[in-house]
This record gives sequence, structure tokens and C-alpha cells, in this order.
Amino acid sequence: MILLNAFTALGRCIDRLIRPLGWLALAMVLITFAIVVLRYALNTGSLLMQESVMYLHGAFFLLAIALGISDDSHVRVDILYSRRPPQQQRLIDLAGHLLFLLPVSAFVVWISLPYAINSWRILEGSSEVGGIPGVFLLKSLIPLTGALMFLQGLAGIAKLIKSEESS
Amino acid sequence: MNPTPLALFAVTFAALLAGYPVALTLAGVALIFAFVGTLTGAFNPTDLGFAAGRLFGIVTNQTLIAVPLFVFMGVLLEKTRIAEDLLANLSNLLGRYRGGLAITVIIVGMLMAASTGIVGATVVTMGLMSLPIMLQRGYPPSLATGTICATGTLGQIIPPSIALVLLGDVLSNGYQQAQLNMGIFAPKSISVGDLFAGAIIPGLCLVGLYLGYILLRVLISPQSMPPAERSDKVDLMPVVGALAPPLLLIVAVLGSILGGFATPTEAAGVGAFGALLLGLAYGRLNREILAEVGSSTLSTTGMVFFILVGASIFSLVFRGYGGEEMVHALFQQMPGGMWGALGIVMLVIFLLGFILDFIEITFVVVPIVGPVLMAMGVDPIWLGILIAVNLQTSFLTPPFGFALFYLRGVAPAQVATTDIYRGVMPFIGLQLLLLGALLIWPSLATWLPAQL
Repeated sequence: MILLNAFTALGRCIDRLIRPLGWLALAMVLITFAIVVLRYALNTGSLLMQESVMYLHGAFFLLAIALGISDDSHVRVDILYSRRPPQQQRLIDLAGHLLFLLPVSAFVVWISLPYAINSWRILEGSSEVGGIPGVFLLKSLIPLTGALMFLQGLAGIAKLIKSEESS
Repeated sequence: MNPTPLALFAVTFAALLAGYPVALTLAGVALIFAFVGTLTGAFNPTDLGFAAGRLFGIVTNQTLIAVPLFVFMGVLLEKTRIAEDLLANLSNLLGRYRGGLAITVIIVGMLMAASTGIVGATVVTMGLMSLPIMLQRGYPPSLATGTICATGTLGQIIPPSIALVLLGDVLSNGYQQAQLNMGIFAPKSISVGDLFAGAIIPGLCLVGLYLGYILLRVLISPQSMPPAERSDKVDLMPVVGALAPPLLLIVAVLGSILGGFATPTEAAGVGAFGALLLGLAYGRLNREILAEVGSSTLSTTGMVFFILVGASIFSLVFRGYGGEEMVHALFQQMPGGMWGALGIVMLVIFLLGFILDFIEITFVVVPIVGPVLMAMGVDPIWLGILIAVNLQTSFLTPPFGFALFYLRGVAPAQVATTDIYRGVMPFIGLQLLLLGALLIWPSLATWLPAQL
């Protein structure tokens, strides 16, 4: 029980850290607008600005994936699912978390961790001159997302078990 | 023929019906297949080695940055209720005429479709805003619900639509691949802008067909679409005032892409900025609204990209098992050559449209069948528009069409589900008419992109 509570608390903690990232969307809009204005009004371009949108976007959508798992906002084919009693829905979710979510997130970490570590080893910079010298950070987002998904999966399983016990 | 890719497809399909999130089901089933195959020696695990590079490719893809920006723009226009103003003002103006309300719904729906590009959002918003008024006015429930559902699905085809951004990205990769496979090493390319251009004429044709159908019904049975009772004098100015800004925004976004002034991503950024200015001008922008828009953009973007991630893992395993060769061989044996293959793909996509969303079909099915069809001589833009119109029809078709579920969710109990089914029938007919016209005259889709 302590373990279950720890998992759900950790999940909530991750949610609280990711949710404010919604503001990054506004930042992306403003920077993209600024890029266009700079190009047409001042006839200059900034690779740093362009790449910063890419960094923001990467962090935005990857971490949004992890948040979507606890928010349950990922699309389902719910023709049959929505008509099942809650208990069966919980069973499907539990099976899905164990068979799909945990292996898939472990897989994402497993394939992308060496990829990111190699990048860290050479402190990989931008492939273009004058770009942001932080490709290793961008690549690290992928295993980070996988790890967060895994933790959200554990939190989801803990939540399902607790609601099963209380019902 | 190697049956494993087919089995992978069939098992995934069955698993999807259980109702667990699509992205995880796609990737999860594929990984289980890969795992078992590795143990039995049927699958080479190094095929999965590309996965990290694939995922990083999604991160660095410039075109896909347009997705959160377009979502932001759409959600902002929705939350600041600019579309609602538009509907209220325009129905004041046109509501005095028979059929005027239905025409208002179609025009506002078209504009909303262009600005948000999300089918569910358009159907729900239009259903909440206009269905009660239409019923109260005495429109038959079937006509009212049919018009709303059909208009809601326009979000797929009317550019700038997120669906077309995703489809354009997938098709352009597939087109390159198809040409490389044929030994063309200086391949031609298509862009999201080309697909937008290709969608304009078919999209407007469809809106024209809807409007024509409403006018025809007014002529045949005028009593089915009564005008508003009070006919007080209406000022033109508030209507123009409400209509002009969103219209300008859409024209500016589309024009800058088609005119070559901006990439779709930049245009999306400028469009979102324009939406911010509009919200500011209407005095409806505050911290709460911005926070809501941000968090809604966050969850929609996460949803879209997760399917892309899941589908990438699925297609690596599908390819690893020789799925591509299987599809190729299957199409070669198809009677009727290119037309036979195209026909079967369209049928499969139509049926898949009952359970899968546009995004899922774009990421799972199009990368598999697209390159093969294009290698057989199918024009990529034509193919893209055919897929878009086809899916749109599928979303409208009872009993499984998505749009019908969305509207059922917000329609009052007095509207029977069979009313909705009967109401969409004529619109399905109109869409099939357009699909047929596109098959006979591919230039409906390919002419405009060639002019730019």
C-alpha cells in the first residue's frame, strides 16, 4: 500500500512539473512570429531563434506524451470500450499498462539511452554553424520521456489497484 | 507469401478494439511480435536499431512544428468565442430568409474548419451553438443534424488543416522513397503547401455542393426551413465586423503559404499571433484563457505526436517482417493494375475510417501503401486529396462515423439517432459525387498546385 501511494504521489509530482509547459506554446508562437518579422522587415535571420523553436517544440510534445498518460487524453478506439462496465474498463487498462505501456516505455529508454549517451560523450552540437550547441540535450529528452512514461505507467497501475480495492 | 505482416496487422486491429490507447496498442503489439520473432529467429532485432534515429527525426522535423502552432490558433479562436460571434451575427442577417440558418451554419462551419481543422471540435461547437436554434426554428431534426455533421467534417479538407499538414509530411517522405526505389536519384518533391493548394478547389466544390443542396431543398419544400419570425432591421456593419477578421486571418495564412512567402510552420506561427491580436482586440484575452489554450494545446499535441511515435515503432516491425514486399506483391497481383490497387486502398481506408482517426490512418496506413501506389504512377497530391475526401465520407457514414458520435454526444434527447443517420445520407451522396469527380478528373486536385 505504501508502494502504491508512493507511485501515485510520484505520478502527481511529474504531472505538476509538466503541466506549466503549456506556456511554451505561447513562446513558440511569439518566436516564430519574430522570425518572420525579422526576415521581412529587417532582412536578417537567426539560426539560434529557429533552432530554439525546435528545442521548445521537442520538449513540448515529448513531455506532453508523458502527461497525456496520466490525464488519459490519448485517443482510444472506444466504440466497444465506452459501453463496458467500469470494472471491465479498469481491467483493460490494467492489462494495457502491463502488456503495452511498461514494455513500450522501457523499449524507448533502452534504444534511446545509448543514442543520447553517445551524444553527451562528444557534447554534440548543431549540425549547422551558429546553431544551438546542445543537440545532446535534445537527444536526452527521448530517454527522459520514456522514463517518465514508465513512472506514469506505475502510477496508473497503482491508481487502478487502489480503485479496485475501494470499489 | 509471408503471412506474418498480415497477422501483425490483424492482431493489432483486434487489440485496438479493446479500447486501450491507440499509440500504445500499435507499439505494444508490434514489440511483442518483434520479441517473439527474435526468440524464434524470424525477426532480426537490429531492424529496431533505427528506432532512436526515427524518434529523433520526429523531434527535428521542421514541418511538424506547424502542428502545435495551428492547434494553438484553433483553440484560441474557439476559447475566445470569436466563432460564436460570427454565427450569431451572420444568422441575424441571413436568418430572415428560408434556409438562411442552414446556409449560415455551412459558412461558419467552413470558416471554423479552416481555422481549427479539428473535426471533433467543429462538430461539437456547431452542435452546441446552432442545433438548438435550428430545432427551435422548426427545421426537421434530420436536416439540422445532417448539415452540422457534414459541415463539421470539412475540417479535414479545407486548408490550412492539421490533417493535411500530417498527410503532406508523410506523402512527401513516401514520394521520395518511391522514386528512389524506381532508381530516380534526383527525385521530385511535394510539400505541405502543394497539398494545401490541391485541397482548395475540391474543398470549395464540396461547400458549393452543400449550399446547392440546401437551396434545392428550399425550392422543393420551403416549409422545412422556416425563416426567423421577427424581422427587425439588421445592420450590416456588425456582420462585416465579425466576419472580416477571421476571414482575413485565414486568407493571410493560406496566401502566405501558397504565395511562397512563408513555410507552413511560419504561417502557422503568424496565424496564431494574429489570433492573439484578435482576442486582444475583442477584449477577451486574459491569463486564464491563455493558460487554458496552452494546456489544451499541450494535450492535443501530445496526442498527435504519440500516435506518430507508436506508428513509427509499428512500421519498423512491419517492415522488419517484410511487410513492404508483401504489400507490393499484393498490389502487383491485383487485377486492374493501378486502378485496382487504388480502389482496394480506398476501400480499406474507408473501412478503417470507422474505427481510426485521420491521424492514425495517416501515420500507419499511408506510409505502407503510399510509396507502392506512387511507384505505380499515382500522383502524390491526387492521392492525398482522395484519401482526405474518402476519410471525410467515412467519418460521416452510419453507424460508425466519428462525426455522428460527436454530435450524438451534444444533441438533445428529442433528436433520435436515426434522425442523424437519415440527415447525413444526402451529404454522403454529395461527398461520393466529389470523390467520383476527383477520380474522373484528377486535375481538380492537381491543377492549382501546378500553377504555383
